[in-house]
Amino acid sequence: MASDLSLENVSVAAGRKVLLDAVSMRVAKGQFLALVGPNGAGKTTVLRAALGLTDATGSVILDGSPVRQWKGLERAARAAWLPQHPAVIEPVTALELVCAARLRFHEPRHASESAALAALERAGVAAFAGRAVTTLSGGERQRVAVAALLAQDAPLLLLDEPANHLDPGQQIALYRLLGELWREGRGVLCVTHDVNLLGWLGEPARVRVAGLRDGRVAFESRYDAPELPALLSSLFEIEMRALHVDDRRLLVPAGGAP
Amino acid sequence: MNPRVIVLVVLSAACVAAAPFVGGSLDGAQGDYILQQLRIPRVLMAVLVGGTMGLVGACYQTIFANPLAAPSTVGTTAGATVGAMMAVVLGTPAWLEDFGFPVMALAAFIGALVVSFVISLISTSGRARVNDVLLAGIAMTLAAGAISTGLQYTADERQLQAAVLWSLGHLSQVGYRGVLMLLPFVVLCGAVLLLQARALNSLLGGEDRAHSQGVDVPRLRALVLGVGALAVAGCVAWCGPIAFVGLIVPHFVRLFVGTDRRRLLPLSFIAGAGFLAACDTVARLALPDRELPVGVLTAGLGAPLLVWLIASQRKS
Repeated sequence: MASDLSLENVSVAAGRKVLLDAVSMRVAKGQFLALVGPNGAGKTTVLRAALGLTDATGSVILDGSPVRQWKGLERAARAAWLPQHPAVIEPVTALELVCAARLRFHEPRHASESAALAALERAGVAAFAGRAVTTLSGGERQRVAVAALLAQDAPLLLLDEPANHLDPGQQIALYRLLGELWREGRGVLCVTHDVNLLGWLGEPARVRVAGLRDGRVAFESRYDAPELPALLSSLFEIEMRALHVDDRRLLVPAGGAP
Repeated sequence: MNPRVIVLVVLSAACVAAAPFVGGSLDGAQGDYILQQLRIPRVLMAVLVGGTMGLVGACYQTIFANPLAAPSTVGTTAGATVGAMMAVVLGTPAWLEDFGFPVMALAAFIGALVVSFVISLISTSGRARVNDVLLAGIAMTLAAGAISTGLQYTADERQLQAAVLWSLGHLSQVGYRGVLMLLPFVVLCGAVLLLQARALNSLLGGEDRAHSQGVDVPRLRALVLGVGALAVAGCVAWCGPIAFVGLIVPHFVRLFVGTDRRRLLPLSFIAGAGFLAACDTVARLALPDRELPVGVLTAGLGAPLLVWLIASQRKS
């Protein structure tokens, strides 16, 4: 299953407010596309449109067909989504939460549980399988959410600020894990505020960065491109400078106008 | 099997099995009649009604992501009450009564379905959030309560007595006829609801995640609401509004067996059946010279239990 995602001239409006304006982008198998932009630029709306969750004009094609033509379980076999603030309404255990992601597989309970345990192991949180998710730290909870993505076993991952509210160590660990999942052949569309975290994915030359501003795609560039700091400066309207630490390039806001 | 599951099932089964034999002597032909024609159908009715309320309550609490969601809080029970009050106060055609048609039950059924249909429309509108739907249910409950009160105000003494008796909630005087008429509703609706357990599990992780995992959330919500309303309307039509079973039973079952809907839904049915059978037995024996309506007892027990549950959950 290739599960390529392509958005062509996708526009979304809420009343008179334009959320997305003729956005086009493509994520193919084995590609990593990071979506960056200021608050309110429309990044989450891109993910919602990609999943057919919002009324949009233009075309959203998932694995060769318009996304809204797929039935729920068919779409779940092609794309998995990590929402920004996934709410848990009851003290569900980590194992139960990850088991629920096996919905698309018509399998007995023990099969779901062994797949969920394997996913928790891969995400490094197998020790918390029996703990209520509500009692876990933000980082542990996010790793459980990633385990649910793994259990769903879709070839395309849509991630909305996956490192939000995590401490620096947990952020890096999470992006290393995402890098592993990407290099296994999955396509990834990842919304992030912090472009420096993309450096922990590995293979920076293959990571693409798209800048979104006021609902429009302002640029698309490679993560290691020399012009990326200037593009980000223009996008965030603040001067961004490149610092080199060991062999790693860090982009930091310098505070002045671009 | 989880020992807690076994305890819950055995306890519920014991309540149901013992219920017909608790109370006055069952000796002789009169005793046989009391057992077979009065107590057994009454306990069977408790199983169907209590089980349905428990199951539907557990489903409603999941789709509304709210522990206070239950048939009595989303308008289903109030709609049935309005229907029944209309049948009592406005009167029914004589030929229908001569024919033996259960007019009051049918009217209650229509009332519950009308309210549930409105709530279903709101829930599937696509723009309604979970709390909007719950608030709409509460608004419908208040409106239905006002209409019921207005109908009672216009009723004569005989009508008023019938209306009040029905509204207290009871399992007596239903007999095998009621059991047989309710059984298909409960079996069909129960089967449909139990089949949604995996999708409801997915919903525990939030609407967005459930959508990503393949759940058509508006459709699931409308299905559970509609089918649940059908089952509850059948129960309320025969027995009057029996409060708190659908609200309180799923909470206790969750404390015993956790949140997995594949366990919680069937066990809420079983525990609801046992709980109502036990309550009805106590209601039958509580007063020396008359029976206490079981709806009064469930409400009396349920309200403090709910407060205790909310307080204990806040502490944890």
